[in-house]
Order: sequence, then C-alpha cells, then structure tokens
Amino acid sequence: MPLGGRRDSRFGQLLRRGFTDPTDAARLLDAPALRSAAADGPLLDALAATADPDAALGALVRLAEAQPDGERAAFLDTLLAAKPLRDRLLAVLGASDGLADHLVRHPAEWRALVAFETADLHPGTEEFEAALADAADPDGLRVAYHRALLTIAARDITGTTDVAETAAELADLATATLRAALRIAAAAAPDDDAACRLAVIGMGKCGGRELNYVSDVDVIFVAEPADGADEGPALQAATRLAAHLMRICSDTTAEGTIWPVDANLRPEGRNGPLVRTLVSHLAYYRRWAKTWEFQALLKARPVAGDEALGAEYAAAVAPLVWQAVERENFVSDVQRMRRRVESSIPAAQAERELKLGPGGLRDVEFAVQLLQLVHGRTDPELRGSSTLDALAALAAGGYVGRQDAASLDASYRFLRTVEHRIQLRRLRRTHLMPTEEAELRSLGRSLGFAGEPVKELTAAWRRHTAGVRRLHEKLFYRPLLDAVARLDAGQLRLGQDAAKERLVALGFADPAAALRHLSALASGVTRKAAIQRTLLPVLMASFADSADPDSGLLNFRKVSDALGTSPWYLRLLRDEGAAAENLARVLSAGRLAPDLLLRAPEAVALLGAAEGLAPRPPAALAQEIQAAVGRADTAESAVAVARGVRRRELFRTAAADIVGAYAPDVAPHEAPGQALDRVGSALTALNAATLRGALTAATAAIGHRPPPARLAVIAMGRFGGHELSYGSDADVVLVHEPAEGADERAAAEAASAIANEMIRLLQLPSIDPPLLVDTHLRPEGRNGPLVRSLTSYAAYYRRWSLVWESQALLRAEPVAGDADLGRRFTELIDPLRYPVGGLDQDAIREIRRLKARMEAERLPRGADPTLHTKLGRGGLSDVEWTVQLLQLRHAHEVEALRTTRTRGALAAAVGAGLLDAEDAEVLDEAWVLASRVRNAVMLVRARPQDTFPADARESAAVARYLGYEPGTVGRMLDDYRRTTRRARTVVERLFYEG
Amino acid sequence: MEKQQEFVLRTLEERDIRFVRLWFTDVLGFLKSVAVAPAELEQAFEEGIGFDGSAIEGFARVHESDMIAKPAPSTFQILPWRAESPGTARMFCDILMPDGSPSYADPRYVLKRALAKSSDLGFTFYTHPEIEFFLLDSKPVDGTRPVPADTSGYFDHTPQAVGMDFRRQAITMLESMGISVEFSHHEGAPGQQEIDLRYADALSTADNIMTFRLVMKQVALEQGVQATFMPKPFSEFPGSGMHTHLSLFEGDRNAFHETGADYRLSKIGRSFIAGLLRHAGEISAVTNQWVNSYKRIWGGTQRTAGAGGEAPSYICWGHNNRSALIRVPMYKPGKTGSTRIEVRSLDSGANPYLAYAVLLAAGLKGVEEGYELPPGAEDDVWALTDRERRALGIEPLPQNLGEAINLMQHSELVAETLGEHVFDFFLRNKRQEWEEYRSEVTAFELRKNLPVL
Repeated sequence: MPLGGRRDSRFGQLLRRGFTDPTDAARLLDAPALRSAAADGPLLDALAATADPDAALGALVRLAEAQPDGERAAFLDTLLAAKPLRDRLLAVLGASDGLADHLVRHPAEWRALVAFETADLHPGTEEFEAALADAADPDGLRVAYHRALLTIAARDITGTTDVAETAAELADLATATLRAALRIAAAAAPDDDAACRLAVIGMGKCGGRELNYVSDVDVIFVAEPADGADEGPALQAATRLAAHLMRICSDTTAEGTIWPVDANLRPEGRNGPLVRTLVSHLAYYRRWAKTWEFQALLKARPVAGDEALGAEYAAAVAPLVWQAVERENFVSDVQRMRRRVESSIPAAQAERELKLGPGGLRDVEFAVQLLQLVHGRTDPELRGSSTLDALAALAAGGYVGRQDAASLDASYRFLRTVEHRIQLRRLRRTHLMPTEEAELRSLGRSLGFAGEPVKELTAAWRRHTAGVRRLHEKLFYRPLLDAVARLDAGQLRLGQDAAKERLVALGFADPAAALRHLSALASGVTRKAAIQRTLLPVLMASFADSADPDSGLLNFRKVSDALGTSPWYLRLLRDEGAAAENLARVLSAGRLAPDLLLRAPEAVALLGAAEGLAPRPPAALAQEIQAAVGRADTAESAVAVARGVRRRELFRTAAADIVGAYAPDVAPHEAPGQALDRVGSALTALNAATLRGALTAATAAIGHRPPPARLAVIAMGRFGGHELSYGSDADVVLVHEPAEGADERAAAEAASAIANEMIRLLQLPSIDPPLLVDTHLRPEGRNGPLVRSLTSYAAYYRRWSLVWESQALLRAEPVAGDADLGRRFTELIDPLRYPVGGLDQDAIREIRRLKARMEAERLPRGADPTLHTKLGRGGLSDVEWTVQLLQLRHAHEVEALRTTRTRGALAAAVGAGLLDAEDAEVLDEAWVLASRVRNAVMLVRARPQDTFPADARESAAVARYLGYEPGTVGRMLDDYRRTTRRARTVVERLFYEG
Repeated sequence: MEKQQEFVLRTLEERDIRFVRLWFTDVLGFLKSVAVAPAELEQAFEEGIGFDGSAIEGFARVHESDMIAKPAPSTFQILPWRAESPGTARMFCDILMPDGSPSYADPRYVLKRALAKSSDLGFTFYTHPEIEFFLLDSKPVDGTRPVPADTSGYFDHTPQAVGMDFRRQAITMLESMGISVEFSHHEGAPGQQEIDLRYADALSTADNIMTFRLVMKQVALEQGVQATFMPKPFSEFPGSGMHTHLSLFEGDRNAFHETGADYRLSKIGRSFIAGLLRHAGEISAVTNQWVNSYKRIWGGTQRTAGAGGEAPSYICWGHNNRSALIRVPMYKPGKTGSTRIEVRSLDSGANPYLAYAVLLAAGLKGVEEGYELPPGAEDDVWALTDRERRALGIEPLPQNLGEAINLMQHSELVAETLGEHVFDFFLRNKRQEWEEYRSEVTAFELRKNLPVL
C-alpha cells in the first residue's frame, strides 16, 4: 500500500477518530459527491462521535450521491453550517442501517431533521398526527411514518430524550399511525364507516406508552352500531374496517412495512371474533377471562376511532381489572404464571436474552404488574400504566423499597436502551445481544462507552442483570420484612393492611399469623435477626411456591426458635446458598420432614453440606449403629442411639426426596421410578441396620453367653422387596437354630426372648419414631410361635403350606442376624416359591379366587376403589399379584424372576418373553404412581393412608410433590384414575385369564 | 365485587326476590337445585355454597364429599312461572373442589374441558338442538300405558288442542328467560311436540336445554298435563329425539364450509363426520343413555319408516337422508355460515353436557387424525337387507344399553373426554340399570308366553 506522508497522517487522523478501516474511509471521503465537505474538521469530528463512524460515513456518501444535482449543494451546505442537523443526521446514520436506507431511498427526507420549534423537540400524538395527515394510502403512510421515526431516533441517539420519553414517543407515533390507518380504511369504505362506531384500544406496550422501536402493536377492537343501524351488519362493517386497518399497517409494500398489528389479546384470542360490542367484551371478561387477561387489560388505553366508545370501554373494563385479585383462582394462577415466566426461555439463547428469562425485561414488567393488581384495588395511585411509572408509584407508596426501586429503575432503563439500540440497527424485532465484535462495539459506543466499548458494555450488562436477578425477593418479600422490622424510623413502609393483602395474594391463608412470625423472626438488632432479614425473602419465595405457605413459615420459626443462637446454624444459613432454599422446601412440603427435624433440629446441618442429602452407604450405617450399640451400657440406651440414627437418616431421605421432587432442574432429569427406588432402598437399608442393632442389643440383654440359639430375621413384603415407604411397618418372620449341643427347648425360649426384647426395644416410647415390627406373615399367623426353628419351618412347609404362603415367600430376604442361617432358610423356601414345573391349574385357580375375594372384601367401606393405592383397581396389590403369579409359574425356569422386587420381576418377565413390553410399562407406571402417592401422602400428613387426602391443602401438597402445577388437583386425580384403569385392564387379562 | 354480581343483588332487592335457586346438573343429567336466601348470596359469590357431594348422583363418595357450588352471575334469571311477588330466580353453578379447583365430577366442567380442547385447536363449537317430547294426561308410576294429551299428527294445526296453547305459553316463557326459539310444531305422534332452540355455543345450549326441560314440565303442569322427555314412551309411536345440528367455527369462518366442494363440505367437515361415525358405537351409551333409548333406536323402524320415524339405527351418513345417523342438510346458497351437520341419534333423555362433549371429541378425533369419510348412503338404509348393509359396510348402532356399555368401557376416547371419575361412575351406574332391566319380567313376555306356556 503506497503510504505517502500526507496520506499517512490522514490515515492516523481517521484511525484516531474511530474509523476501523481508515483506508476505506479515506476513499469514501474523496467521493465526488462530498466535494469540499470532506476536508471539514467539524464534520469529521461529528462522524467520530457516532456509534459507527464507518457506517455513518458510508451512508453519508450514499445520501449525498442520492441528492438530485440541484439539491446536493443545499444539503452539504446545511450539513456543514447547522450543527444540530449534522449531529442528528450523522447520529442516525451511524446507529441505524435501516433508517439510513430509508434516507437514501427518499433523499429529501433529511429535512425532517431540521428542527426549529421547541415543540419539534418533544412532540406528542397531535404533532405526529399532523405529520401523518397528508398520507392517503399505505405507501404514503409508510413514508410519513418512517420520517417521524427518523426524528424520534435522532432525538433518542443524541440524548435529547431519555429511554422512557423515547418509548412514549414511539407509542404516540403508533397511536397517530393507527388513527391515520383507520382514516384511510374508512375513506375506502364510507358505508362501513357510516354503519358503525369503531374504537381501537391499545394494549401491551402501545397501551402502556412504552413501545419499542420494532414490535407488534397490540390492539383490541370494540364497536357499536351507528345510530339506527342493525347490530349484525354493523359488526361486519366494523370487522372489515378493523381488518383493513391491520393490513394497512402490516402489509409489506414497495415502501416496506410499519409493524404487525396484533389483535390476539382479544377475548378468545385468535379464535374469537375480531370485533365485539362493548357488552360482548364485558360478558366475556365476566364469564370466561383468565387472570392473565386482566393483567393484560391493565395496559388498555383507547388510541383511535370513536373516542366516546373508547372511553366507555376503558371505564367499564377498569373495575374488572382491579377486582381480578378477588377471583377464585387468582393465587394459583399467579403462582403458575410466575413459574411459567421463569422457565419460558430456551437455554441456547439464555445467555443473550434481554427480554425473557430470569432478570429479563419481561420479568420486571410482570412483577410490577402483579403488584399493581394486588395493591391497585385499594390504592388508585398505583393504576398508572407504564412499567417505570408504576414502579415509581409503588416506591412512593412504600410497596417496594426505595433503594430496590431505584436500582430496578436503572437496570430496566439500561436493558430497554440496549434493546432499543439493537432494534434500531436494522429495524428488526429482536431482543438478543449481538455476538459479533463489530456490532457489540457500535452498540457500546451508542450507549456512550467510548473507551473500550465492548468490555464496558458487557460489564454494565452483567451488573444490571445481576441487579434484577433477585427481583421477586426484592419486590414481593423484602417490603414485608421492612414492614415488620421497622428499622429506619423515617422510611416509608408497607402498611399492615397492604402487607396482609400481599400475603394473601402470595397464598398465605392466615396473613395475621404470618406477619406475627415475620415480626418475631426479623425484628431487633441481633445478629440472628439481621441474618434472617436477609434470608427470609428467599425463604418466603419458596414458601409461597408451596401448597402450604403458612406451615412453611411456622415451621421455620420453630426451627429458628430452637437453633437460632447456635453459631453454626446462622453460618449455615448465611453462607450456604442452597441450604436456605432446601430448608424452605423441606419445611413447606408437608408434616413428616418438619416433625422429624423438630425432634432434633441439629439435622438442619445435613441441608448445608453438598453430600448431606446423598444416602449413607449401608455399610457405614451399619457400622455407626453397631459401634453405638457396642458402646452403650444398657440395651435401652443402645437402641435409643440406633433409633436416633434412624430418625436422622429418615430425615435425610425425606429431605432429599422433597428437594429432588420440587426442584427437578437441580437433580438431573430422573425418571419418577428411579427416585422412588432410591427412597425404597434407603429406607430398607435403614430399617435393616436398625433391626441389626436392636438384635445385637437384645441378644446381649438376654444374657446367655454364648446364646443357646442363633437367630435370623427374614424381611418379608415390601421390606423384603426394598420397597419400603416412610410409614411402612417392618414385615418379618423370625427363624432360629439351637447352638451346638444346646437344649432345644432352652434354645427356643432364648430365641423367643431375644425376639420379644428386640421388638419391645424398637417401639419403646421416645422422641424418635418407633420401628414397628410386624410378624403376622409367619406360619399359622398370630397363633403360631413368634420364632420357629429351621427344622420346624421345614416340617411345617412339608405338611401344611398354602399357595398364598408360597406367594408371600417370594418377597423373603434375610436382613439381620445369623447370615448362614438366613441363607439356609432361603434354600429351604426356594422350592416352595419357585416350584419346579410352575403351578398346577388348581393352584392357579386358588390364587385367582383368593384375589377375587380380597377385592370384594378388603376394601374399606366407603373407600373409592379408583383412588385406593393399595387395594384399588389397578393399584399396588393388583400389579403385585399379577407379577407374583408370573413368578410362581415361571421362576423355576427363569432365573431372573427370582427377585423380591416388583419392578425387577416385571423387567425380568419382559426379558424372558413372558410379558409384553407395553403391558409391563402400563403395570410399572401404575405401580410407581401408586407408590409415589403413598410416599407423598406420608410426607404430607406424617400418617400413612392408602388414598388421597380429603383435606384440600393436603391433597394440593401431594399434587405439588407429584409435579402438578398449583390448582390442578382435579387433573392429578384424573391422571391417577386413568393410569390405574389401564393397569387394571392389563391385570384382568394377565392375572385372570390365560 | 363484580358488576354482574352487583346487578344480581340489586335486582333481588328491586324485584323483591325471596329465593334464588342455584342449579347444577348431576352426572345422569338431572337438574339439582339448592335454594338460598338473597342474604346468603353475597357469600355464595365469594366462596360458593358448600354441600355434601355424596348426596348427588355421581359426584362423590362419602369420605371426600365436601363440594362447593359457585353460582355464575351471568346466568342469573328470574323464573317466570312463580306468581309475581315475591319471586324466585335461578343461576347455574360450577362445582368446585374444596381447594377451589373445578370438580371433574361436574358435567358442566366435562363440557368446558372438551370445549377448551377444541378452542386449543382453534375451533368454536356451536349446536342447535331440535327437542322432541310428549305431553301426557298424566304420568303413571305403576307401569301402565300413559295417555297422550291430544290426538293430532305431524304439523297439525288444530284449534283448541292442548298443544297450541301449550306451545304459545312455553315459547313466551322461554323467550322471557332469554332462550331463543327457532321453530315449533306438533310432531308425528299424538301428544308429541318439537321445539327447536336457536344455535349457540355448546355450553349455552346445554344450559338452555336444562332450563328448557324444566320450563316445559312447568308449563305443562299449569295446563293440567305432563311433559316427558322419555326417549320412547309408546311402542307404536316414534320416540323423542334431540337431533342436533353441529358446526365448528374458526374465528368468523365456518370450518365445515368449502365453496366448490361436494355438499360444500370442507376437509375438516368430512373428517369430523368420519370421527362421529367411527366412534358412534362407543359414545352411544352417553348419547343414548337409558335402557329405553334403544327402544327408540330399534323400535318400530319398520312401522314408522318415513315421516316421523326419524331414529337412525345404522352408522352411516347421507345428504338429506333421513334414515342416516348423520345428515348433511341442504346447503342454502349464499349462506357459508350455515353449513352444518345433523346428528340424529341423540335423544331427549341425554345429559346434554356429556353428550355434546363426546360428540365434539369424536368429531375432533376425526379431524386430528384426518379420518377419511366413507361414501354416503344414498338409499333408505332401513329398506336394505342385512346383507346389503353388510356389503356397503354399514354397521348397526348398539342393540341395547348392555351392548353400548361394553363398547364404551373399552373406549379411551370416552374415558379421556368424560374424565376418569365420570367415566367410572357412569359405567357403574349404567351397568346397574342394565342389570336391573335384564332381570325384569316384562309385559311383552307375559303377553307372549303366559297364555301359551
């Protein structure tokens, strides 16, 4: 490249002025169309001040070239002479390729940027209307619209107007445009116009006077027949006018498009009639409308057409908006809407999103609108429509903390400005941060980051997003704490009534009690109160998301009262982010976990450590219990320790279960059956270890050394199948064998004494939950001896065994005591439960008949068979009997069927071709669902029950555990009935036929 | 408080209304009513009225019986038949669970769910019923044959007949309750009447039918006769159907209409009919829910074929074919909005909420899966022989309630549409009805067998 001295210095000058390609810039400056202007210092400086000097210069040359020969001189002279024009024009050229193209296409339009009157600096709807007055067709309207848009952009970029004013101007321009479009549509069809009165209601950001550069303009149409006209034809006329208006704005012509007009917020959305009468609108809103529709109506503002009708509409709709909070489903709708907003964003773009996603613009807007709905009913000051105005009003009324409001205001303005500038560049609708360096650079420069635009822009963006992130806590919950804590005497606070109003909207049934708890937790100057004040907004958010916010808060208060001053507890809450949130979940998901926790609150510590919620390995558990038992002085104290360990582990299992169920995004996606199996295995291992500890203690207590009999505990039923629930008893049978040379009777007595002692120790009254041992599955049931010797079992089974006993033995698995004896017991029963050759027809008939009788007799009176998890249609027992019949018939030939686990046997049966994969899936799904319901009921009520709770809050909590949205208990029951009905169909075919 | 609620409370005051009847419908389609005093109404609007659901057929079992009836103020109407002052008014209710969520046992919610699904697909569902019923001298409960209130025939316009006066008063009363009447005439059999209601969205229609039945019974009482919606009270006369015209709209556009297509029927219209045909058997227990319903479908088709014998027995469709299950009426030129199809199996004893829900679901299933419409029946299908029908692939509707139940119980479509609770209850209840009927010794047997055996 030939670099002469003069060129070199020009190169340097251009580089310093921010041109990224000085060579090209120099070439452009030499373009004949610019002539003398190229040497002008102020012009170069003005170019340098734009967001993108290269683009600005390129566009300037194109614009100069586009001037007709007679006009070019005037253009260049004005450019050089008038600084205001120069700054505005170049600012636009540097910030918007779209508007630059428009200027080049219409070379005379630059004159729109010459402003003399002060009214030009802050135009309103009237001024825009005047500017659009001459447009008589869609093309003319497009040109005039873009001319006006040009002036808005110029004032925006040069700093004459701030982001809120710009957004308001854009909305005013939209208003004027809709009016002009309606004028054109009416002129095209005067008969239609005469037949009706049509009003256009602005919604969304247009209604709120906070429009973007490029976005759909949301509207609703309302019409009435003109005097003397019939309603039907009048509505048709109005519909034609409205449809024409929409086309005038949204069609793409030679002059491009304006924006799409979106009328989908109307009653019945896309499917509803485009135009309705006022009465029809109101009828819909009274009868059908959903909470979000009232939220949308918050922004309704008549913008075009018949003013009187528009005003009537606004007046009629406003009261509905402010009563929305009293609607029956308001609280659950709001919970649902909040969850949806938070989770609505595709992950791939989350990083670059300005609008959606946590901390995005939508989040701020949504939260502010919600507070308007909640408090606007009693406080008319809050009924303004733009987000920033409403936020200011909320702060002024004390509904939101002043500082929080100020920082939100700043962040919202920043994010909106960025959004505006991104859209301006190509006049496209987008809310994604650009990825290219060059675009980021000009974006940063347009926001005034001159030094290192990309770096500064990125930093500012991060800062503001972080500021918005804890938004709900700041907006919804922190003001509640300020209300009760009363720390700064001077500060404006949420009044008691407003605080209660808000608590009710958040789902608290007893707001007075909630305020009392908050006050007790957060008042005062202690370190504990200070930490809890910071923490409670987070916790309250979790409570509000649960089915029983009141209990969550009450339980937290109890934990806090018990532990509040221990330093580790405060440290845990303060430092471990997840701990507080997990605690909130656990405390508000039902009674079982809080009950376990409140018996010994130190277990809160489990929620802090990362591995705290992982189940303890069975070996470690066994070792801990055996060691404790070994150290203890008496059998009572030994078992007390073991039961303490059990309580702690029960809590751990329940807490992990709840945390996993309520935050599926935390636990990587897991099938419901897997989580269920984990709970079953953990509880089974836990009860086994506890039994072992108690057996050791009981053996020592009986006092013979060595004992005259060895004892083995055989788990049966769900215990044997590793399928225990929180509320299950431990089903066992007990077997002993006299020691070498011991007297048989003495051995039997000793074994019986040990067993009785073990059972007694496990259910001694104490603060820890008892482990109830159930031995009714033993031969001869309650009439038979508690413990039998192995030889006695052998004799019994040789002579008496019944089919149902063989069936029960399918689930037998040794869990405690002498391992060798356990193994030999298993060998003894294997021929019974896996009979060679399967079952004969008599045995099959007997089992079927037994089951049929059970179905008729066992179900408790008044119970709903479609909802009974255990004995109901398609419930646990149906599935298990079907599986067990398969096992009895085929386990002798299919090794894999020899398992105590229901799901394992199902899979094995499919593997061996005994069961259709589809049938197995239907059965598995029902069994897993019924088991989960049973677990959920126990977690919620802390008492076992074989059906769904009758209490509304309890059944809601069960639904939440199962992953249902708030307010969908009915759907949960419907799904349960459907799943089990299908299972029942399979059971009837597999169990009763074939 | 909402304006509508205020309006209701103000009206109660101004018109000196002493009682408000809160209406809802049980699973079998019987109207239920709880009377409340105006003073209780304000609370009813806020929280609903608690009641024991186990007392209502199909609502709940004893242990989960707390339910809430929540009046919809938009359905407020003063009842015109109670003497002027003090008056009585009514409102329809939604049935809620204690947590405020809608109850799956509420037939109104069954229909609302079906409508919501169609709305998700972009459709609004309109229905237009032609309701037939009999006026009788009295309703004997001992099984003896009732006596029709008159002896006129189809379209007869006789002076001084009970029917004339009756229809005039009934229509005035319906109109005064905001229910528009399209057409009314004397039907084919003695004492039989038909009144057509104007087309409306399916939920309004169902509400209107419930009101209609009560109004008819009331007016009849005032005229010293009895109205019955029993599907087939007389062996020798045609039964009482509730032919219903169905149409789907996409926004303002009739989705069944397509200019230039055969019968002006769009692809959607054709698939919708195909859906109704393919699922006709399994929804039969809902559209024709009584033992007696099948007497209408199968009874006397030979004797009354032609005018008046309008119950379809076979699953087929036709253009203006009065023997077909589904009729596509003649297209009125220039009326794109009027393309519709007429389902002729429904009878007047149906629960309109459930019946419209299953009809809509069956039709939409056809649309969603793009069912092909079989060829239409040109002939009078009653006149064909069994073998001819078989050759044409025309299946019969279920022979009786028992058969209909068996078809329904394997239907995922019906289970899904009714919801599992109603599905389960309905099957149990209908099975019981069928079993009771099956064990009954009838007059037929006594007449045929006793003399000779």
